[in-house]
Amino acid sequence: MGFKNFEGADEEFNLEQMEAETEAMLRLRFLNSYNAKFERTPGGFVSLDIPVGEDDKPEHYDRVRVVRSFPFTAPDSYISIRTTEEKSKEIGIIKDITKDVTKETRKMLEEQMNLRYFTPVITKINDIKEEYGHAYWDVVTTEGPCKFVIYMNSSSVVSLTDVRLMITDLDGNRFEIPDFTKLSAGELKKLDLFL
Amino acid sequence: MRITRGKKNRKISEEPKQVTGKLPQELENKLWARGVKESDVLVCVRTDMDLTCAFTPGWIIMTKDRLITATADPLSGEVHYFKGMETRNTRKIASDREWTFAEFDISDVKNAYVERTVSGGFLILVHKDKDDPEAEGAAETVAAVSNHCMGSATKIERLCEKLAEDKEIKDEDLEDDEEEEYCPICGTMYPDSDRKVCPKCMNKKSIFRRTIGYLKPYKWRILVMFLCYLATAALNIVWPYLNGVVLYRKVLGKDEKFLSFLSIEGNRYVTILLLIVLTMVMTKITMQLVGILQGVMTAKIVPRVVKSMRNDVFGAMGKLSINFFTSKQTGSLMTRVMSDSDEVSGFFIDGLPYFLINVFSIIAMAVVMFRLSWPLAIVALMFMPITFLVSWKMLPRLWHRYGRRHRATRSLNSKIHDNLSGARVVKAFGQESSEVKRFDKSNEKVRSADLAVMNYDNKFSALYSAAENLASLMVYIVGAYLILIQKRFDYAILITFAGYVGQMTGPMDFMSFFFRWFTNCMNSAQRMFEIIDAVPEIAEKEDAVSLDTIEGTIEMKNVTFGYEKNKPVLKNINMKVEGGHMLGIVGRSGAGKTTIVNLISRLYDPQEGSVTLDGVNLKDLSFKTLRGNVAMVSQETYMFMGTVAENIAYAKKDASRAEIIRAAVLASAHDFICRMPDGYDTMIGSSGRELSGGERQRISIARAILANPKILILDEATAAVDTETEQAIQQSINMLIKGRTTISIAHRLSTLRDADTLIVIDEGKIAEEGTHEELLAKKGVYYKLKELQTKALALKGIE
Repeated sequence: MGFKNFEGADEEFNLEQMEAETEAMLRLRFLNSYNAKFERTPGGFVSLDIPVGEDDKPEHYDRVRVVRSFPFTAPDSYISIRTTEEKSKEIGIIKDITKDVTKETRKMLEEQMNLRYFTPVITKINDIKEEYGHAYWDVVTTEGPCKFVIYMNSSSVVSLTDVRLMITDLDGNRFEIPDFTKLSAGELKKLDLFL
Repeated sequence: MRITRGKKNRKISEEPKQVTGKLPQELENKLWARGVKESDVLVCVRTDMDLTCAFTPGWIIMTKDRLITATADPLSGEVHYFKGMETRNTRKIASDREWTFAEFDISDVKNAYVERTVSGGFLILVHKDKDDPEAEGAAETVAAVSNHCMGSATKIERLCEKLAEDKEIKDEDLEDDEEEEYCPICGTMYPDSDRKVCPKCMNKKSIFRRTIGYLKPYKWRILVMFLCYLATAALNIVWPYLNGVVLYRKVLGKDEKFLSFLSIEGNRYVTILLLIVLTMVMTKITMQLVGILQGVMTAKIVPRVVKSMRNDVFGAMGKLSINFFTSKQTGSLMTRVMSDSDEVSGFFIDGLPYFLINVFSIIAMAVVMFRLSWPLAIVALMFMPITFLVSWKMLPRLWHRYGRRHRATRSLNSKIHDNLSGARVVKAFGQESSEVKRFDKSNEKVRSADLAVMNYDNKFSALYSAAENLASLMVYIVGAYLILIQKRFDYAILITFAGYVGQMTGPMDFMSFFFRWFTNCMNSAQRMFEIIDAVPEIAEKEDAVSLDTIEGTIEMKNVTFGYEKNKPVLKNINMKVEGGHMLGIVGRSGAGKTTIVNLISRLYDPQEGSVTLDGVNLKDLSFKTLRGNVAMVSQETYMFMGTVAENIAYAKKDASRAEIIRAAVLASAHDFICRMPDGYDTMIGSSGRELSGGERQRISIARAILANPKILILDEATAAVDTETEQAIQQSINMLIKGRTTISIAHRLSTLRDADTLIVIDEGKIAEEGTHEELLAKKGVYYKLKELQTKALALKGIE
């Protein structure tokens, strides 16, 4: 509804939220090995200590969520460190994980991200069969052979770049083909339908 | 912790196999060895990953005091089956697998939650703090699942939450819904769990019979059509015979017998020639006439059948619950339904008879050919399988390419549409040239798709006609050989044969795609019948109570509800509005305000608890009582195609003009309606005049006034209009709410000044409740909101 944009009703109500957002934006802070200390927890998470935080007070987080801002185009840059509750808030951002933090921290953060962005990479296509509005895939991935089904619609196979494909199955499980031009002619023929 | 032992649970304790029976025997034995008692097991759910995300089967077993995870050690090369591929067989786990166990004490658990990842999630247990049992302590990851087994994780999450809050665990919490996900015949998991249809086991026979039912009223016409097809086929067989055998052998060959049969003297060849030419012309004309007749019949029957199918589907759609329309998968189902009826009737009226005729033609032609000359018949028929194979193999691929071109064109069109509607932004940011580049990229895709179609089409045509021509050529070669060398027969037969060969390719071609057409049609019919047969979730009870007059007292008791089963939007809501009173609901967007309203108008039923009207559960109330007494004015005003008057009288079709005007006046809509050139007869809706948000809002208020409901729901009715209009509308609303139970949702607290009670909803729970003054005195959420808004209004004043 176009009217919403011109009119104040929503903005008035969300003022609180807007103020909070504005503040959060002003607070956008970059974390690096000098101002933040990450550590592994026994439960398999990462904790964060910021010795000099807001208002010069130390901050401590039992466990943090590690999120990529650009998961496809810049997996190493702008890593958002967030709190773990449902409406999670950003604690800080790591501009470049390859430069701003120690090797060890990078490793533990990457472990967390690898779990979060876990996506089997398709290395071989055995068969793709189309039937009754579904496509049945039989593939080999980096995580072992997989058989899954997708809907025959445009959102199931998405091209992230000219050569990179993301495939989403019925349940929303993701699979990836990093470069489809590297597949064999026979595999390409099976994939042809989705290109 | 309380656990109710309902009927089902008792069954479980008597026959413990019901819960644990799904576990592999090996695993079960190991569990008992760990000191787990069968009777203690609450649920067992499946997982499909270990904690490092490697795919491997596993289980979470929950007892009253323990949570046990068992993960099989991953095997390299093991195939992982996902939804739509998994069957009961592939679920089986070999008995020699090694298991890794982990155990967690539930009494130590503060809460559990599922941390979602891009395609799955982790089940995380948060322990109690050792020093402070109320505080959260250390957390640990317990299990990992892909989205395929997400239901398992959320089930455990829900149970843990209930246990932590010391709530009753009900039978339905423990219910095993997994079995319903599998086709009972072949054991494959349904690709779409909302549509319990197994594509492999679809009962084609009964669908076929049912579709035939739609054609019954037209059986005589269909008979005529069938005769037309038959006549066409017969004439097709006669034609080559006429211009071959009859013309060459009998007439040009001066067959005495034939001539005396026609009782024409032997030397009057011209007459005979004329006669035969005339017959041939007549045959062709008859063929055309029959074709026209058949076309007319098709044109008469198809639209009617399509119409009655669509009517059935649309009628069934009306009965369905709102859920059906909002769920995404069925949304796409809907749009397809309309084309489905075309597909189905098209197949039954065009495809099926043509198929029968083709079978008949092919057999008849083959018989005639064999009668004329069997060696030549063999040569001619030899190539039939080849042409058949060519189109059988190549046509689907050609269609794929057509499909690709279609998709590319569609994406190009949407790009154009996107660009035109965003023209302001494009111009404002001066991005014309980059838009041209983006367009060029899509355009290039269309070009290459187009090229692919043409390429393949050419390839196909070339191959197909090559096979076809080769067949005719072979017939000529072998025929010539037989005539010249063996003198087995004459030129007439060769001409006849060539004609048959030419005519046979058509039916062959048709056969090659007939079967695909058939399956497509059955699938379409299946989808159609599914909607026709769908049982609405929200149905009127047979012995529903009708109330003549109602007070309008609404009460919600312990209502818990979520649009998705595992995600409650409302949690344990209790509230009551006395008849004729006004209730104001305040809360953030997404807090669940509209959901309350949806439950009151019974667009959905609560999962737990009850909603009552005058003490009668809405589930027991007749739709007539409910819908006749509840009206809603919401932020999304919907205008139907029609005049202003028709839109106002939407809920009361027989309203008089005086009533309509009165309602419009009360809604302060009369003035602007009269300012429009066509007044109350102005066409509005999707094709008509554009109305402003305020105007639409006022018409929808007039609609509610005319409906004269006992219960009025205002869902942010004035959110989309400017302050001045709001004042006017507010006055009409004040008129409207007199003597009615009103439930009003508003962002602007000033709108709710007159409310008898106010509730503040936050994250699905009632955070505060009371009158305006009480809530202000409380200095809680409401007070904060009020302060913020006064400030915001003050700011606005400065502007």
